[in-house]
Amino acid sequence: MPSGDRADRVRGAFIGLAIGDAAGWPAVRHRSLVMAPWSRRLRRELDVFAEEHQVTTLPVPFALNLPVEPLAVGPSDDAEWLAWTALRLAEARDGAAPGREADDGGSPAPYRMPGIGGERWLAGYRDLAGRDDLRVRISVRNALDNLGRGVEPPASGHDNPHFFDDAAAVRAVAFGAGHTDPVAAARADAVITNAEDGVHGAAAIAAAVALLAGGATVGEAVDAAVAELPEGGVIRHAVLTALDAARAAGGAFAAVPALDAALDDHVYSYGVSAAQTVAVALALTDASRGRLAEAVPAAACLPAFADSAPALTGALTGAATGYAALPEGWRETARPLLGCGLPDLAGADLLAIADRLIGGERSC
Amino acid sequence: MTPSRSRARGCLLGLAVGDALGRPAENLTPGQIEARWGRLTEIEPGGGTDDTEYTIFAASLLTRHGGALTPEDVVAAYREQILPYAGGPMKGAGFSERGAVQAMRRGFAPPLTGRWHPHGWSDGLAMRAAPYGIFATGNPAEAARLVAVDGSVSNAGEGVHGGAAVAAAVAVAMTGAPVDEVVAAGIDAVPADSWTGRNLRAVADGGDPAGVIAVHYPWTDLAPEAVALAFHAYLAGGGEVFESVTTAANLGRDADTTAAIAGALAGAGRGEEGVPERWRAEIGPASGKCLPAVAGRHVRDVADELVQAASRERG
Repeated sequence: MPSGDRADRVRGAFIGLAIGDAAGWPAVRHRSLVMAPWSRRLRRELDVFAEEHQVTTLPVPFALNLPVEPLAVGPSDDAEWLAWTALRLAEARDGAAPGREADDGGSPAPYRMPGIGGERWLAGYRDLAGRDDLRVRISVRNALDNLGRGVEPPASGHDNPHFFDDAAAVRAVAFGAGHTDPVAAARADAVITNAEDGVHGAAAIAAAVALLAGGATVGEAVDAAVAELPEGGVIRHAVLTALDAARAAGGAFAAVPALDAALDDHVYSYGVSAAQTVAVALALTDASRGRLAEAVPAAACLPAFADSAPALTGALTGAATGYAALPEGWRETARPLLGCGLPDLAGADLLAIADRLIGGERSC
Repeated sequence: MTPSRSRARGCLLGLAVGDALGRPAENLTPGQIEARWGRLTEIEPGGGTDDTEYTIFAASLLTRHGGALTPEDVVAAYREQILPYAGGPMKGAGFSERGAVQAMRRGFAPPLTGRWHPHGWSDGLAMRAAPYGIFATGNPAEAARLVAVDGSVSNAGEGVHGGAAVAAAVAVAMTGAPVDEVVAAGIDAVPADSWTGRNLRAVADGGDPAGVIAVHYPWTDLAPEAVALAFHAYLAGGGEVFESVTTAANLGRDADTTAAIAGALAGAGRGEEGVPERWRAEIGPASGKCLPAVAGRHVRDVADELVQAASRERG
């Protein structure tokens, strides 16, 4: 039952992403990053203790004599990156004049960002490249390193060990919600940190969020997402396989073992490939017919993908139903940001940031 | 051009000694290596690793199929020689080999087997690329074409480029060409607009090898990094086996692979006698600890078989 209000659906995308972000097991580990380093060192030692003493009681992030608030359920890095992207997007749009694209052919392939201007958009990343207080994804870290030593996009996202990850897909929610050319803008943003499947995954999420925010059905949004994935590519293969597996299972939670079998080879040390997490998000959104309370818990039950797949799933399902339809117990919990990855966002209200993006929408 | 037996042996012996010398330095920093050995110049007991054994595997593809090698032939060899052991530990296998095996177990065919897992950039192809250069001595384009057939099964993108750079460079080193020409052949074999291409040009221009290292990534098996470090070491060593191999090994990171590649390039240029005798004495038949199917094979014999296969190919 889609909401009739576009603003409500954009709010739903933002808060839905934050709910999913908070629901995955890695969230509390990210949130513990604002605590004293010794608390995390002791937790690592307790991991070793469990191994050496052959006990199955595993440590969780703990406070001991520190403030306990950061360890409460709440959003972490993905919600902060959505907020950062939305704020940059709103600032660029609210500015007096759009940035000019370099169009004189002076360099072989100048970086472009539709409606904003390439250098203007890139400036936000250049600022981050000089910071030493951030905690970011491997793809983003390597992209910022590249920018810092003069490797410009798209090489900054291509010459990158995690070019395939879903960092840009998370940011793409902002473009789907608040840019007039959402897919092109999401792709342009994505090439800063990613390449190939990492860029296609961002385009798919932007396309789906844009349609859902406009009132389309889940089926239409999934079709639009799939249309962004190139024939013969891995991410398309993974998404179609996951959609079939989840449909055959008959529901979101029922699909958990099938999605694990279909998508996860359990070979690699990280579960952040866009081919995997975007596939989970689209399949569970489809299988739940857009119901966050069914889809997000299922995504959180896939441990390898639990850092970002629940967040992407929450963004899509939240956009499908709108903010007002989200579980009341989660809506307030998901709003305040901790600044565990991007410290400048400590204390920011994600709902207010969504509203700022909505407010400026018609001026672009 | 028919490959010289001495250069072919030098190439694979150089690879094997690099693998064996670099093995204990893998994933150490230059500082840790210095603290432990001063300079690592002597092969420690324990022999080589996956680099040598997968190289023997790649050579067997060429001796069986020659220049007509297809991705389907490579898959058949995986199914015959590697998959039967994949239920247990695949010792020494990297992400790309294990990932490709899982993709095959799903019933996928190339090139999806090399793309399904995210480790297309792995240096697993570069580490076994030397036989393609021996087989296609003097013809770097053919060496690059053939190694890409193998690579399509397990790798994609930068991992295939890394294999092409090594195979093409070995093909030119096998002619006795100067070091600069060998490196140029490697660079010519990869797209200019690629990570591998950018990194290779950086080291060929005399750049600091630290500039090609992805310091904020925990694994060291990135082909654009490993191949560039190997080419740097080969250049810094002036194409001599001892200097090239020790330079690579003492840089750490994926030291067994970088030293193996540097050794293959230098050994192809200097021939069997160019590989220090005390190092050669350490190389025996492969143990099969990584690939049971190659147990008992000696790289010297494998090199001779490659020369024979290349001669047959040329009629």
